[in-house]
Amino acid sequence: MSNNIPQTESFNLPKNSAWLLWGCQLVNISSLAAELSTWMLAILALCLCWQALLLSRQKTSNVSPNVGSAIKLHTDAVRMSPFILMLLAISGCVAIAVSAQSFGVLIAMVHLLTFAYALKAFEIKKRKDFYQHSLLGVFLLACALIFKQDLGFSLFILLLLVINLTLIHQAFAKRNSLFNASKTVVILLLQSSLLAITLFVVFPRLSPFWQVPMANSAKTGLSDVVSPGDIANLALSSELAFRANFKGASIPAYSTLYWRAMTLENYDGRKWTRVNNNAQGQHNTKAKQQGFNPTTSGTAISYQVIAQPSFQPWLFALSVATTTDPKLVLKQDYTIQSTTIVNQLKHYQIKSYPDAPLALSLSQQSRQRNLAIKPGSNPKLEQLAVDLKAKHQSSLALSQAVLTTFREQKYYYTLQAPMLINNSLDQFYFDTKAGFCVHYASSFTYLMRAAGVPARVVTGYLGGEYNDESNDASSEDNSSQGGHLSIYQYDAHAWSEIWLEGIGWYRVDPTAAVDPERVSQGWSSALLEQQSELNSDFISLYRIKQLAWLNTLRLKLDAINYQWTRWVLGYSAKQQYDLLKRWFGQSMPWKTAAIIAMALMLAMAFFTLFYWLSGAKNSKHKVSPAQAVYNQCLTALAKKGFTKERHQTTQQFSLVINEQLPHLSADFTELTSVFECLHYQQYSEQEQLALMAQLAKKVRDVTKALNSVSTMANDTKNISSMINNKKYKNPQQ
Amino acid sequence: MAANSFKAFFYHRFDTWLKRRVPSRSHHQLSRQNIFIMPTKFGFAYLLFVFLLFLLATNYQNNIIMLMSYLLASFFISVMMHSFYNFSGLGFQSTAKHSGFAKQTINVPVTIIATKQHFDLTLSFAKQPKQPKQSKQSKQQQQKIYLEQCHAGNTEVVLPYIAKQRGTVNIGRIKIASEYSFGLFVSWAVLDFSHQITVYPQPKKINANQYRLAGQDSQNANSTNYANQSAGLDDFSELKNYVLGESRARIAWKQFARGQGRYSKHYQSQQGSLPWLKLSEMPSANLESQLSYLCYLVLEYSHSEQRFGLDLTVNGHSGASDVDKKIAPDVGFLHQSACLTALANFNQWVRES
Repeated sequence: MSNNIPQTESFNLPKNSAWLLWGCQLVNISSLAAELSTWMLAILALCLCWQALLLSRQKTSNVSPNVGSAIKLHTDAVRMSPFILMLLAISGCVAIAVSAQSFGVLIAMVHLLTFAYALKAFEIKKRKDFYQHSLLGVFLLACALIFKQDLGFSLFILLLLVINLTLIHQAFAKRNSLFNASKTVVILLLQSSLLAITLFVVFPRLSPFWQVPMANSAKTGLSDVVSPGDIANLALSSELAFRANFKGASIPAYSTLYWRAMTLENYDGRKWTRVNNNAQGQHNTKAKQQGFNPTTSGTAISYQVIAQPSFQPWLFALSVATTTDPKLVLKQDYTIQSTTIVNQLKHYQIKSYPDAPLALSLSQQSRQRNLAIKPGSNPKLEQLAVDLKAKHQSSLALSQAVLTTFREQKYYYTLQAPMLINNSLDQFYFDTKAGFCVHYASSFTYLMRAAGVPARVVTGYLGGEYNDESNDASSEDNSSQGGHLSIYQYDAHAWSEIWLEGIGWYRVDPTAAVDPERVSQGWSSALLEQQSELNSDFISLYRIKQLAWLNTLRLKLDAINYQWTRWVLGYSAKQQYDLLKRWFGQSMPWKTAAIIAMALMLAMAFFTLFYWLSGAKNSKHKVSPAQAVYNQCLTALAKKGFTKERHQTTQQFSLVINEQLPHLSADFTELTSVFECLHYQQYSEQEQLALMAQLAKKVRDVTKALNSVSTMANDTKNISSMINNKKYKNPQQ
Repeated sequence: MAANSFKAFFYHRFDTWLKRRVPSRSHHQLSRQNIFIMPTKFGFAYLLFVFLLFLLATNYQNNIIMLMSYLLASFFISVMMHSFYNFSGLGFQSTAKHSGFAKQTINVPVTIIATKQHFDLTLSFAKQPKQPKQSKQSKQQQQKIYLEQCHAGNTEVVLPYIAKQRGTVNIGRIKIASEYSFGLFVSWAVLDFSHQITVYPQPKKINANQYRLAGQDSQNANSTNYANQSAGLDDFSELKNYVLGESRARIAWKQFARGQGRYSKHYQSQQGSLPWLKLSEMPSANLESQLSYLCYLVLEYSHSEQRFGLDLTVNGHSGASDVDKKIAPDVGFLHQSACLTALANFNQWVRES
């Protein structure tokens, strides 16, 4: 039972814990796998394989009937020669340093941490090393949360945290089963959750202390350079772009949900690009400093947008958007940008005026830019434009004529557009006649420009999936409709805007002419089918949408995720301030402190209660039936004045009884021996029953005899002390 | 020096406080009264780590990492409670008086009484603040007992104690510590069972020749006595029926093994000559080795169930405490332990000063 261990000298984990340590590393690293480069993953895999090899080899050496090691249950921690380890460490660090330029600081740090974590596992010699390794593991989990924070991933990290803590726990309860250990951890975490949540809600949010390197992962979503066919790639992605919540106000019709992201005004004959910021900035630095203030009129809709990190600055809003958020910039072209790159979830509040006109006056510079075409790049279209201009007086009629052409001729709206030579719009318009939104928007815009109508391409998202599963009762007005819109990458869209005198920029969507369903309801089934063919995802959106229950489930999950994003991820200092103000009126530091203290006390009280309850349950269970019967006999004896002292063994007590109650001695000696057998030895069930019966009978006999004759002992203590003396052993034995 | 005296002062104050707080008993139950709990080094490192997470979360304005840091911070408190509850409720019991020989392991049994499972218990002798020098030496020798797990019921553990010198030693308190659950906290208790160990001198073998020679040198008058007596060490006389309660050492195992029943061997020492073991006749100049020889002889004589007396008077120095230094010839276990105790405590005050 007891063994002496040199606690400080070396630290050994039992076999199953050693494997747990290994598995723990595997999952911790896997949580960061998406951020790590391929070669680093290869090195880490190598390290893990090596460890696994060493671990399994130890298994075989333990099995071998070595006299000494047969008793030794614990395996030595995985060891590797320090020289190789150092070589590996240095070369790894050099490799990280070399590629740090391309990684960026944050990713390089993550690489370094992960690498150190994997190598440290070879070096766990002392308890201290084990602690360091464990904390590093938990830190990796925290790092993984920098990159991804959705509900599923957070729960995954929580699970990993449980595994990590179980590992630490195993070092202190080596013989405990993994299940029990993890149960303990989960219970402890549950017990701590009350205080944690209170802290989360109440503890003051601080602003960042210093600038930290941000993740600059691959840009996602719309790009500021668009050539025909570009958005078709984006359409294959079912990743979330952003969510919008209209807070119970009625959501505009699907066909009006044109989320503008940016306007593309420069065309070089192949691709559309944004107007250079600097060129614009030079012209109206003053306006930029003050910020662009769009003139608004008509009814307003206000809504909240939560944009997923895209690692680009553009944000999404319905047109004429206004905001009071200081971190957003309203641009001259009525789009909104973030002052920084969106590398985290971005919450912002927008007020839009759908009926307000965009730019009633057009500056000369802007007009020139939006009329610029590269003469001779698409001669056929230019010719057509001249013809159309002759036919139609007004610009609006002219545009309608082009749309009619799209509508009436055999134009196809497809994800798989034929390749165009040099992105020739002529080829598309006159020959292939099949393309995605950018094809139509580009050729339309080009035609308009050629015909002398200022026109530009606008990219953004169209529509969005309405999800009323998030219709929560907690929202202030239950009567109105809740729910939110989820806009996915496949909702990416490109359309045109033409400038009309007295109207301003007027939205024309050529896609509406080709595939009206796309604009009114979203993807047509033909398009969805195409998408599912092109998409390599195992379960494509198309198939999910076919099954009603699965779709409901998907929407439910999306709704939960949305609430998570909104309430947990979006819980900002301002929200905290508002909430506390609503609860306690004037928010005061001492109130916050009082709440935290209360939560602490409550948590500790719960804990104590929990242990009392479980302790009471335990102690009831622990008395075996034999013990119960024996105790019964003891109480009977105690009534007559013969109490068994705590320090006395059953044998010693039996001797006391022998001396003081000679008439009981035979029975009681036998009773004692039977009880000892039952209590200390292993028997089959039948034997146990027989012995129990015997014990019960003896107890009855003893109590009967006890009641019939009552002899008082003269001096119990004297005799018991004598027996203590007899126990005094001869040192030679 | 100043630091030392301050330390000593602190120890003293702490000790007196501890005496009031955790008085000596033979049975202790761990509770709020006697448990101390402190974060370990790892515990402090953990707190620092949690703070680091908080900084990370604040700098990245990341709510999930923030939540994680809060969760881990509250986890710290939960672990404190958990640690405490793993530790409390344990009962410890130990008898106060023990004896053994110097430089040999003396086992101090402690019974652990548990009502539920407890984990990760370390038992050791608490450092004695009164003799910092000695404790430093003994610290290396005194081993810790580590229990991975302690089931409900009684568990007996044996704490090995190695005493360097003979005498009566107060071994002080027993420290019971546990870092259970996550190593973040160490809960400990220092329990006083008023353990007192009578450390007998280390027995040193002395052969009969050597002894006789010494006897001749010092006191010719008694030399014949010793000669007779040493011849009679194993002087077997007869077998008698074994009577319940007789020493096991006297059982005639050979006969017993043959199935002839239990007999006890009886020895006969020569009548008339009272065998006195005298300190002054031991062949050494060193008092400690003389006592060691005596110790050996006492054990030998008792083993062979001979009557003997112990005379510890030093020539010409038989002072006031003369009575204590002479033990009349007798036989038996009690006699043996009385002799050994006398050897252990002989002139202890002289040695200490």
